[in-house]
Amino acid sequence: MADPIEEEVQKEIKANKILIYGKGTKQMPMCGFTRETMQFFDRYGYPYELIDVLQNPAKREFLTGMTNWPTLPKVFIDGQFYGDTDILDPMAAKGEIEPLLKKAFGK
Amino acid sequence: MISSDALTSYIRRAMPDAVVSVTDRTGTMDHFSIRVVSNHFKGKNLLDRHRMVYQALDEPMKDGRIHALEIKAETSDGT
Repeated sequence: MADPIEEEVQKEIKANKILIYGKGTKQMPMCGFTRETMQFFDRYGYPYELIDVLQNPAKREFLTGMTNWPTLPKVFIDGQFYGDTDILDPMAAKGEIEPLLKKAFGK
Repeated sequence: MISSDALTSYIRRAMPDAVVSVTDRTGTMDHFSIRVVSNHFKGKNLLDRHRMVYQALDEPMKDGRIHALEIKAETSDGT
């Protein structure tokens, strides 16, 4: 039988072109890095979802194993894992984010 | 809370050639920004480079001595 957490995560990744697993909510991010990641995507104007996993240790652990990445936030774009702003910022500096998002949103 | 020397030695244990610069972002010695230069990163993409650093710091991250970490991982020729 499939792991319900895995099914939930796969569904979330599929449903959101830009998905941030982080701490807190859009209205009240509970972590500086989560806020930074939201600000990063605000610059591009595409919709993103923030899913709070602060109160869900089992899901947090699943995501860590799945991505082999220990920290939050964790960013997925078009189903692919992209780490956090430490990865996204250098990509942005090289002009790689805009085309990636354009492609993800089919524009 | 961890000293920059202790943090650096965790990284050197995994990557003996590493040159590590540590910045304490909050004055509390648990939110860091670090820059690691090592040729162990050659041929690895950014995600894998960061995974290597997280792996080296697994212990102090798990026990809470490091609360937050921002990483720059480069090779000596600047890639």
